Amino acid sequence: MSPSRLATRAGIYAFLGLFAFLSVFPFLWMIVGMTNRTGDIILGRFTLGDAFLENARNFFEQADAPLVFWNSAKIAILGTIATLAVSSIAGYGFEIFRSPARERIYGVLLLTIMIPFAVLMIPLFVIMGKLGLINTHIAVILPTVASGFVVFYFRQATKAFPSELRDAARVDGLKEWQIFLYIYVPTMRSTYAAAFVIVFMTAWNNYLWPLIVLQTNDKKTITLAISSLASAYYPDYGVVMVGALVATLPTLFVFFIMQRQFVQGMLGSVK
Amino acid sequence: MQSRDRIRLKSALGAAAFGAALFAAGLAQAKTITVWCWDPNFNVAIMKEAGARYTKAHPDVTIEIVDFSKPDVEQKLQAGLASGVAEALPDIVLIEDYGAQKYLQSFPGSFAPLSGTVDYSGFAPYKVELMTLDGEVYGMPFDSGVTGLFYRKDYIEAAGYTAADMQNLTWDKFIEIGKAVEAKTGKKMLGYDTSDAGLTRIIMQSAGQWYFDKEGGLAIEGNAALKAALDVQKKIQEAGIYKPATGWNDWVAKFTSGDVAAVVTGVWITGTIKAQAEQSGKWGVAPIPTVDVPGAVAASNLGGSSWYVLASSDVKDEAIDLLDTVYAKDVDFYQTILQDRGAVGSLLAARTGAAYDTPDAFFGGEKIWQSFSKWLGEIPAVNYGIFTNEVDAAVAVQLPKLGKGESVDAAIEAIAAQAKVQVQ
Amino acid sequence: MSPRPGLRRYYDINGWSFVGPAVALILLFMAYPIVWSLWMSFQQGRGMRLSFAGFGNIIRLTQDPVFQLALGNTVLFFVVQVPIMLTLALFIAVLLDDPHLKFRGLLRTLIFLPCVMSLVVYSVLFKSMFLLDGIVNQTLLALAIVSEPIPWMSDPFWARVLLITAITWRWTGYNMIFYLAALQNIDKSIYEASRIDGVPSYARFFRLTVPMLKPVILFTTVTSTIGTLQLFDEARNIVASDTSAGTAGPGDSVLTLSVYIYNLTFRFMPNFGYAATVSYVIVVLVALLAFVQFYVARERDR
Repeated sequence: MSPSRLATRAGIYAFLGLFAFLSVFPFLWMIVGMTNRTGDIILGRFTLGDAFLENARNFFEQADAPLVFWNSAKIAILGTIATLAVSSIAGYGFEIFRSPARERIYGVLLLTIMIPFAVLMIPLFVIMGKLGLINTHIAVILPTVASGFVVFYFRQATKAFPSELRDAARVDGLKEWQIFLYIYVPTMRSTYAAAFVIVFMTAWNNYLWPLIVLQTNDKKTITLAISSLASAYYPDYGVVMVGALVATLPTLFVFFIMQRQFVQGMLGSVK
Repeated sequence: MQSRDRIRLKSALGAAAFGAALFAAGLAQAKTITVWCWDPNFNVAIMKEAGARYTKAHPDVTIEIVDFSKPDVEQKLQAGLASGVAEALPDIVLIEDYGAQKYLQSFPGSFAPLSGTVDYSGFAPYKVELMTLDGEVYGMPFDSGVTGLFYRKDYIEAAGYTAADMQNLTWDKFIEIGKAVEAKTGKKMLGYDTSDAGLTRIIMQSAGQWYFDKEGGLAIEGNAALKAALDVQKKIQEAGIYKPATGWNDWVAKFTSGDVAAVVTGVWITGTIKAQAEQSGKWGVAPIPTVDVPGAVAASNLGGSSWYVLASSDVKDEAIDLLDTVYAKDVDFYQTILQDRGAVGSLLAARTGAAYDTPDAFFGGEKIWQSFSKWLGEIPAVNYGIFTNEVDAAVAVQLPKLGKGESVDAAIEAIAAQAKVQVQ
Repeated sequence: MSPRPGLRRYYDINGWSFVGPAVALILLFMAYPIVWSLWMSFQQGRGMRLSFAGFGNIIRLTQDPVFQLALGNTVLFFVVQVPIMLTLALFIAVLLDDPHLKFRGLLRTLIFLPCVMSLVVYSVLFKSMFLLDGIVNQTLLALAIVSEPIPWMSDPFWARVLLITAITWRWTGYNMIFYLAALQNIDKSIYEASRIDGVPSYARFFRLTVPMLKPVILFTTVTSTIGTLQLFDEARNIVASDTSAGTAGPGDSVLTLSVYIYNLTFRFMPNFGYAATVSYVIVVLVALLAFVQFYVARERDR
């Protein structure tokens, strides 16, 4: 390798290394912060302290950690499954069974992505009230199930679904729903994995809508619990950091176990 | 008919999508009073105490207190009121006094009047006035935000001043002491957040005025109190005696960590200050500094809130009875919450209790509660109107500019222009 | 050629049953609220005491300095942040696409990691890191990059810088994944051929990579545009102060249109009509920009 190429190479590593470091730094900060007291954290102490057990104990005392964690998990998992089911079926339907009427509806669906959520909250809230769903987890999930973005994503991915597979299945006498369930879904596993990662993260991290629609302590999600800890009159940053980690672990976990399929699935969606 | 439809639709939705069994909607138990409020160490803890006292005599009632941050309570209340969904609302809600008229006037009929039940003559009049609409009184007056100047004796003494020097201050003198403190100790005098209009409100009310006149019309231009408040803040910024703070939490951290020598705010901060046990004996309390405006006094108010019962509540009578029994009649309750939480109530009779007469070791044996009760009686009454948040925001936009050379007159002009569009 | 009637019916039955559930949910939970808000945008009043206002709300937009400030901020974030983030994401993706690069899997994972963090968590972390005496200023001082701590949250300029930094941190890796996925679809032999022909690397980037990635670039540009124009969570939580005035950053320096809508709905005297009008400004902006972006992408096709 020539010296100038070597220098370029070193530059590339330095740049990527620095960017990767900046990307993970807040994670490190969170982990170091868990072991420190508030007073040290606000003064920027970046060495491990000895307050971890105290912070952890306080977190589990102040927030009903197992309950809020369970609530979040329930909402995120059921919400993700429902979203993937409804939106992938629709994305498939829009792509395979084209008609002018459905294309127009698809256009409207894409337009809904542009509407800021803040303005939909009041009417959505009224609807949930009429359905008797205020303060239920189902009310948190329902508005996200038919997501314009996920429908779009699956329609794009379906374009890469080989039509020979479908034709062969039709010749074999499979019904359309069977083709979808037995041929499409297994073939598109990595597309589902990628969508799962993104939808799960969105559902797990959702804040504004659960805040409005959930009313009692026993329904709260972990993000709501952390936000009330962080906005206490005198917040304990050490405790908040413990909560932050607990709230981040599931999304990290989902990402790591699905990482390979995730990148694979992205491939399909951007063709 | 309607409810049958609702049940049908609900079960259809549940069965179709997820299986209804997983999501049994929580049915309200008979006689559960739900309360929304913020701050676990203050309002929540105090309401728990009140609930414990009440349920002792009424074992069939349970109190469920739901704790959100203050903006979250306001947001949820507004969503619930706007949607007209009764199940979406609690039975009792805590509302900050500045916002009371906004809710009473824009959601008429949503709150239960208490004037038939509660004897309001025992409360500080300014609290009763702000919850009165068309002759009916709607709330249960709770804590007062009577203000004081909390300061670190050790820093002030290091700068060559004594506790006596801190009495009867003007803001100019306050700034002068601030400069001396910095020169001698390296500490700043104040934590100060330029996005917070709190100090503006304290100074303005100490001079007996507000953003609005008695009729609720805008009073920005020609408001001597507002002008004085901005003047003081321009001087504070130009003298550089403050440590910039961002948001409430950061602002609190400035004085709890010993970074600054003083804090001018409502009495409810006492608990937070006392939570720093290692600083015991180092703090003192004085009346707030005054401005040179006719009628200005060394007493003011910041924040403070009151309890309201929702008209849609199905346990309305119990909720009203709870508030009336404890907050309007139980003098001993006020002693407990003062001792445990540093809460100064607005029931005047409570001030004669023993707790108000106890010297406080944390403040070097000063009888601080007596001082606060005295200042409570001196707070000028003003009309908080219905647009305080809007004008606050307009003021907060100008505050950082004052430190960068903008004149007070220009700031007032800009505030007036922004406020005019916002208050419609 | 029109399909036979029987086939057409078969198509329609299946088509509608596949898209039916999603369309029903969209009708209920999107279309109805959208129509409601459209109707509201012609109403004026406090809380639920409303009256018809015609174009009153639109006239109010033209006189409202807060709206104009929010619009300016939103456009500023869009114009500055989206290009920085996408350029960075594309650049990193191209570097990571090099099969000879060591640790590329690790680097890719690390750079993607920020977007698994929840908004509430990352706002708390950024808030605590960018405090005046916090770790970021300590580091900058120690490295002698600055001589005075930077007032991240109390100076309007720095508050905007902080917000842009935060969003870029959170979303660069996310966009990078899209580019990386698309790059892996590109036939590497085209690169090899042009490299042998002596085409310099920057030219390869602009003449080969960018054109081939155009669909993805368009996709990420449109989604980032939507995201930035609807920017709410970060503006409200990181720099925005939780004080009573509730300004977004010093002097409302990070007040975005979405935060203003939120204020009009929940913080201020509730004014649902005006809030709805402001949100349609966002819709119009997004639609315009998306149109322009599609148009630009199409032009270069020829």
